[in-house]
This record gives sequence, C-alpha cells and structure tokens, in this order.
Amino acid sequence: MAGIYIHVPFCKQKCSYCDFASFPKEIGKAEAYFACLYKELKARGLQLKDKKFNTVYFGGGTPSFVEPKYIYGALKQVLTCFNVDKNAEITLEVNPSTIDEQKLKVYKNAGINRFSVGLQTANDNTLYSINRIHTVEDFKKAIELLKDYNVSVDVMIGLPNETVSDVQNTLDLATSYPQVKHVSVYALKAEEGTPMFTRYLNGELLSDDEVADIYDFVVKYLYGKGYERYEVSNFAKSGYESKHNKNYWARGEYIGVGVGASSFINDRRFTNTESIDEYVHAVLNGKVAEVFSEEVTGDDAKAEYAMLNLRTSKGISFSEYRSIFGTEFIVDFSKAIKGNSNYLDKTADGLKIKDEYLYVQNSILVDFISEKQ
Amino acid sequence: MSEIRKENIRNFCIIAHIDHGKSTLADRLIEMTGQVAERDMEQQLLDSMDLERERGITIKLTPVRMLYKAKNGEEYIFNLIDTPGHVDFTYEVSRSLKACEGAILIVDASQGIQAQTLANVYLALDSNLEIMPVINKIDLPSADPDSVGKEIEDVIGLDGANAPRISAKTGINIEEVLERIVTDIPAPKCNDGAPLKALIFDSYYDNFKGVILFVRVVDGEVKPGTKIKTFMSDKTFDVVEVGTFNPDLRPKNTLSSGEVGYIAASIKSISDIEVGDTVYDVENPTSEPLPGYKKAQPVVFSGIYPLDGSKFNDLKEALLKLKLNDASLTFEPDHSTALGFGFRCGFLGLLHMEIIQERLEREFGLDIITTAPSVSYIVHKTDGEVLTVENPTKLPPVVEIEYNEEPIISASIYTPPDYVGAIMELCQEKRGVMKDMSYIDDKRVKLNYELPLNEIVFDFFDGLKSRTRGYASFDYEVSGYKRSDLVKLDMLLNGEICDALSIIVHKDKAYARGRAIAEKLKEAIPRQMFEIPVQAAVGGKVIARETVKALRKDVLAKCYGGDITRKKKLLEKQKEGKKKMRKLGSVEIPSEAFMSILKIDSSDK
Repeated sequence: MAGIYIHVPFCKQKCSYCDFASFPKEIGKAEAYFACLYKELKARGLQLKDKKFNTVYFGGGTPSFVEPKYIYGALKQVLTCFNVDKNAEITLEVNPSTIDEQKLKVYKNAGINRFSVGLQTANDNTLYSINRIHTVEDFKKAIELLKDYNVSVDVMIGLPNETVSDVQNTLDLATSYPQVKHVSVYALKAEEGTPMFTRYLNGELLSDDEVADIYDFVVKYLYGKGYERYEVSNFAKSGYESKHNKNYWARGEYIGVGVGASSFINDRRFTNTESIDEYVHAVLNGKVAEVFSEEVTGDDAKAEYAMLNLRTSKGISFSEYRSIFGTEFIVDFSKAIKGNSNYLDKTADGLKIKDEYLYVQNSILVDFISEKQ
Repeated sequence: MSEIRKENIRNFCIIAHIDHGKSTLADRLIEMTGQVAERDMEQQLLDSMDLERERGITIKLTPVRMLYKAKNGEEYIFNLIDTPGHVDFTYEVSRSLKACEGAILIVDASQGIQAQTLANVYLALDSNLEIMPVINKIDLPSADPDSVGKEIEDVIGLDGANAPRISAKTGINIEEVLERIVTDIPAPKCNDGAPLKALIFDSYYDNFKGVILFVRVVDGEVKPGTKIKTFMSDKTFDVVEVGTFNPDLRPKNTLSSGEVGYIAASIKSISDIEVGDTVYDVENPTSEPLPGYKKAQPVVFSGIYPLDGSKFNDLKEALLKLKLNDASLTFEPDHSTALGFGFRCGFLGLLHMEIIQERLEREFGLDIITTAPSVSYIVHKTDGEVLTVENPTKLPPVVEIEYNEEPIISASIYTPPDYVGAIMELCQEKRGVMKDMSYIDDKRVKLNYELPLNEIVFDFFDGLKSRTRGYASFDYEVSGYKRSDLVKLDMLLNGEICDALSIIVHKDKAYARGRAIAEKLKEAIPRQMFEIPVQAAVGGKVIARETVKALRKDVLAKCYGGDITRKKKLLEKQKEGKKKMRKLGSVEIPSEAFMSILKIDSSDK
C-alpha cells in the first residue's frame, strides 16, 4: 500500500518559523497551479496504475486557505487516476481561522475523512508573535465544526518564552475534545532565513534542556490521556495512528505532487521544484518538475530502513526486514547494535530504541547509517 | 662570467628584523642587477612558501647570484645568502653567516634596532663578518633616520651616520647599497690549491637530482667526478654536477674557493648529510673540518596525530618529505590510547613547530591533531637511573622519582618602559627570575629573565603580546637545566585518563591549570548520551572536576511531506562530525578539545 501527498503552496501569511514551499503573495496563481496539479496527478496516475494507495494527504501551506473547489477537484482527480482503497485515510491540513461550514461541506463531499488542525499553542500572545493567523477562539470554533470527524491537532513546543504550563494549557484544550484522536508534537526548529532564526540568534528561544523538559512532560501527559506515542513526534488513541505518517516511517512508497513535494516510488526518491513558476512551466510542457532524484538500493536502502523504523515506538521488525532484504538485521547492523546496546530494547520480533532515549536518537541513528555506508 | 676574478666576488647576507624589509631589499637588488627578468622575479617570490609570505616572515630564501657592473667599470659577482630571521633558527643563521664575508644590516627608519636583529648582529660579529648597516623605509612619514643612525652607533658601535638611507619599497638609493657592497664587503680569501673544504649551509631534496647541497667552498675546488665525503657520514658520493644559483640552478665546470654554489652527487637521503658539516675530497682529503658544526637539538616537542586515524601513512609520508628539507625536524612513531597512532615530533622552537604543523595542513592537505607542546625533562629516579622525558606519558610514577630537572632559558625582553610592570607580572606568573634590567635609552628597556622553557611553550607569547600591545620583543636561548618540583597533570574523561591531554607542570601551577583545562574541556566536549565527568588529577588525586551533562534532545523534527532526503542529509552531516571524533572508552572527543587546552591563558583562572 502506498500514499499520495498533495502540496498546496498557498497561505494567508507566513508563520515566522516556516521555511516550507508556501507563498502568501502568489494566491493569484492558484487557478494555474491546480490546473497543473490535476495534470501532474493524471500523468503520475498513468505511471503508477499498478500500485494500490490507501492514504491521501493534503499538506501546505494552508490547504484550507484556497477555495475548496480546488481541493475537491484535486481529490476527484486522485480518485479517478489512482487505484485508491475505498477505506483510504484522506487527510486535509486545516488552519483554524480558514474553515467554515460551507468549506467543510465541500471537503466532505470530496471524500476528506480526517482533518489535521494546526493549533500550535493555546497562548494567543505567542500565536500572534509567531505570525499565526488564528486565535485560540478560532481553534475552538473549528474543532466544534469538526466534531464528527477524525481529527489530529498539531502542537509546537519550544516556542519563545514557553513554559511547561503553557504546554499543559495547550494540551488541556486539545485533548478536551473527544474527536481529537491524534496529536502531533513538534519541537520548533529555527531554520535559517526565517524570522524565527533571528529570534534564535537573539537568544529568545528555549534551550535544548528546556525543550526536553517540555517534551518529557508531553509524553507523560498524553499517555495519561490515552494517547500513545507511536513515533517520536506523534501520539494517538489506539487505532487512530496516522496511516499516512506511518507509511513514511515504514519506508513505504508514496507519490508527492505539487511544488516541493517528495516521492518515494520504485526505489527512487525524488522531489519537485519549490517554485510555482518552474512547476507550472514544466507541467505545461509535459515534463516532470523534479529537481532532485536518487536511487536508493542495497545498503543505502537498509540504512534508510533502520533510520526510519527506529523513529517509531515499535522499532524494527526482524521478520519484516528479512522479507524485504533477505538478510538478517542483527548481522547487517551488528556493530551499531552492540555499540548502542544500552539504548536499545529487544521486542518480540526485533528491537527498538528505549523510550527514554527516543528523544536523543540521532547519535544512535548515525551509528546505524554509518554501518551501511 | 668565469673570467671575473675572485677578488670581485662578494658573499653576503642580509640581517633584518621581521618586516623590516629583507625580502624587499633582496628583490630590489636582484632587479637592479638585472639578473632576473621581472616576470621571473615574481616567480621566485611565489616559489617561497605560502606560509612565509602570509606571515611576512622569511624562513629561507634560496641563495642568489647576481652580476653587477660597478661604477669603477669592473664586474662583480654578488652571492646573496639568505638567513632565517627567527630565533628558532639561530643555528641555521650561524651556518649561513659562515658562508659570507659580510652582512647587510637593515634597520627600520622608524622602529630602530629590534631584539632579534641584535642577536643576529652579534652572531655575525662572532663570525668576523663585516657589517654594513642600511637604514630602510625612509619614505615612511614616521621615519627618523638620524636618530636610528645614532642608535646604530650607540648600540652596535657601527658607523650609522654614513649608512645608506634607502627605501627598498620605492627603490630610493638602492644603487648606493650596490656600490657599498663592492667597497665595504671584503672579497673572499681564496686557496684553490689546498685540499677541498666546503661548508654545507643548506640543502634541499630534488626529485631528479637527489639532495642538492648548498655550499661555500672555502679551500680547493670541486667538480663533476670528484669523490666527496663529509665528516659526519661514512658514505662516499660521486659529484654529478656543480653550479651556481641564478636563481635557478645553473651548472658550471668547477666550484672553487671563495665561491658559493651547489653540489649534486646523487645523494638519496638528506639524513646522509648534515648542514654545517664540511665536504672534502676523498682522494685529497683534509684532516680538519671547518669549525662550528653543531647538531641541531630539538627543544620543543609535541605529538602530531592524523585527525582521521586511517591517514597515519599519509602523515608519515608528509613528515618524511618535510624532513628532506628540514634536517632539524625529528619524529618518531608514538601511540596514544585516545588519538591512536601518530608521531612524537621535536622542533627547534615554537615557531618551527607552528610552521611544521601548518605546512602539514596546507601543503599536504592533512587534518592533524597536535598535543600540548612539551619540553625535555631530566628525571632522576630513586634507583639512580637518569632519564630524559619529552613525552608526559613517559614520566615514571611519582614514587620512582628522586627529583626532576627542567630546561631553563635565558630570555631578553626589549620593551618600551611603559610595559615593564606588565612584563614583570607576566614573568612572575611564569616562574621567572629577573637577572638584569637596563635602560638602552629613554624609549627602550632590556629585561633579562631566567624562565623555565616549560612556561614559555604554553601561552607566553600571546600573554606578552597582549600585555604590551605587541611592543615588546623576546629572544631566548636554552641556558641549562634546573631542579624543579614538577608533576604530571592527567585529565580523566568518564574516569579514564586521556593520555593525549596529560602535561607536566610545576606543582604550584597544577591546580589552576587543571581547573582551567577541565573548564575548557567541558566546553569543547559535546553532550553525549550519558553524563561525563571531566577531572584533573595529580598522582591519582583528583584536584578539579567538571561535568558534561547528558544529552537530552537530539532528534530531527517533522518529516515534512515525506522529505526523507533532507533528513538523511542532516544525519549525514552529523555522521561526518561523529567520524571526526576520537573515542576514549565510550566518550567521543572532538579534535577541538585537544586543541583547546593549548589555548589556556593563565588569566583564565
């Protein structure tokens, strides 16, 4: 089973930490963009007609910012051009201030069955300071609207001046709605070139220790509310893990369409251009808009498999590894396993990073990658 | 050319303080005698080491032979033999001086005579050289040639009033310098009939010709076919080629007494000859070598390790190549538990050490880790045995030591009077004993100190520079050994001694230094999966402790839209960083950690 990712590169205004392909000033290009997106979907659909897909994910930007007809159109095109399972998980990212009853009706008709709502924090001052366009009130309204759906909430930690109690408020709010079955918790990362980077340079952001304190709190809090951590940043009530996300960590296949979208199909990773103009130009000329492509096979594939699966709470499955690569994980990675034995736990069919080390996993992952390169 | 009589040969060198214009004057002389086309000259400049050019110091220039038609109508051969300008290379200077009859002393018209220059002037006087002062940089607004002229008379006792006043940079009065070389510097004494005696004053390795000897023929003559030998080696070599420096090697039929030139004799290894040694003719041998030969003794030692352990052989090759042209560099294989295989290297001094380290990095593209510089200690063991210890890890256990001796230097510091207090304070901190203080004039004071070399190799120069805003200059020579209360300071990481960080210090300094190093290491060692105690210990007793806290957040955030590639790249970067780390037990140590302890300033405590 594989996933489909659709990128909507428009938003009302840039959040101050955002370095994704999203262009507030280019909303005028939406018509042309979606026309091309449909075209790309069709072309990819033809190439991949033998593959079965079980997730569709609209990410952005702010997919709920554009006219809902585009989402409707894109999803119809997906269902027409791809072999999509009828129980597919179809997610739309939503900014709380950009959704209303009318839009929701269109989304529902199109077939969206899961919403990922970006709350980030329940502190209005912080929301304002990081250039989010919504308020806590907007979130409450949006979440009420979505009460009959499967909803995920995005929360950010490590925001400027944030304390554990801020995060507690945020989680209190998010988890007070029964429809919220899933919470994603990402630590703020100040990317170069964003306004947040300036704040980072000014020393306004939290230290790693402070963020780690918050993270530890989050894990405990959400566990107490019945949300299990299934990946380092993702928490869900039983049975509500995001299939789309899990596919990434499982090293499953996915096709990404639109600007900046990444794909992994038939052992090849490739990424589209981040420029709307370049994208439109390429697609109109019947070309692919890829700017990067690499084959990942052999040891590289094994290294990727280890790196991705170790992010999850479940960890590595020896039998799955064997069935994919035909070799033994413990043989292929014997050195890394030995060197990190203090940080790894055995599971019934494999191994995983101990819970308490999941948040310091990089140096462990590096050992696994190094062994296969 | 060969018709020029011996009395028209002038062999001379140039003595100058760093940055007082030695290379510029040399270039000007070469240009004015028209020996080298301007384009080639550029080439010649570029041929010298990058390092020298960047630091504005000249370690060595190849000798140059110039033809000069003097105003008296006669043609002269000028052999300019360059001398290294730094105290580390005093021995090399003395050898070069022995090849000359005279020396041009360049004095900066605004700065006057500097300490180092003076030291070399005395060397030149010792070698009975005729010294010809020249006042340079008279084009500078701050130039004061009259008082500099007077200083030359007062300090050295030379005729400063009549010294040519020049600007090597703009070319003012260079003609006068050329004429004065003819009139002031004596012609070589010649003795063609005597058995061959030639002084080796330098050498380098040529891939085709083998070792090229730079010689001054004192007696007799040498030509292709001559069977030669030196006093320090048993090997006999057949001379293949002799010639002069124009400045490229130009073959000649013979080299005879009074001449400066080169000998190529298919010498495979530079270790077969030693600079300062005397070449003689096997079939017509001389019984006496030329005086003054001394084996160059390293005084500063440090471990050099490849950053990437697998590059050990590359490092070895590079050191061997450097050694081809630098007989004073010594090295032997060494092993450290933290750094793996490397070399314990000996240097003439700190500058020499820095130059070698930089050349390894630049010319050979090697990433290296160097350990703290050490000196050579004499250890008297309780059982009567006496050891020389250059490597802190080789110091015997305390219980086996009766007492230790450390090398002492005699230092001359020249400074404007304003900084005397600061310098005295610094020398005090460095266990110095003042021997003498004299006012040279109202602008300059000379301080004589006895200082342990061990204190100098740490951060003395930086301290001197910063406390005197660069105005003080410093000269030293090793004067002997003195009994001293020395201890080995070990650094423990996660309870394990990191041998590469061990140093030998005076007992009274151990606590402060141990604490300073522990603090530096705490900064330099990245947080890891577990808490790392960083301890300083003397004889097993911990005297300072810091802690590198365990890592708490080291994870890649959101994998946006499945961009695994970006994630991989980030991990890849982290992997490269990790690869550069050294492992001591389970602790990963970045190379900066080893370097950071080199930069402990005593004011840090």
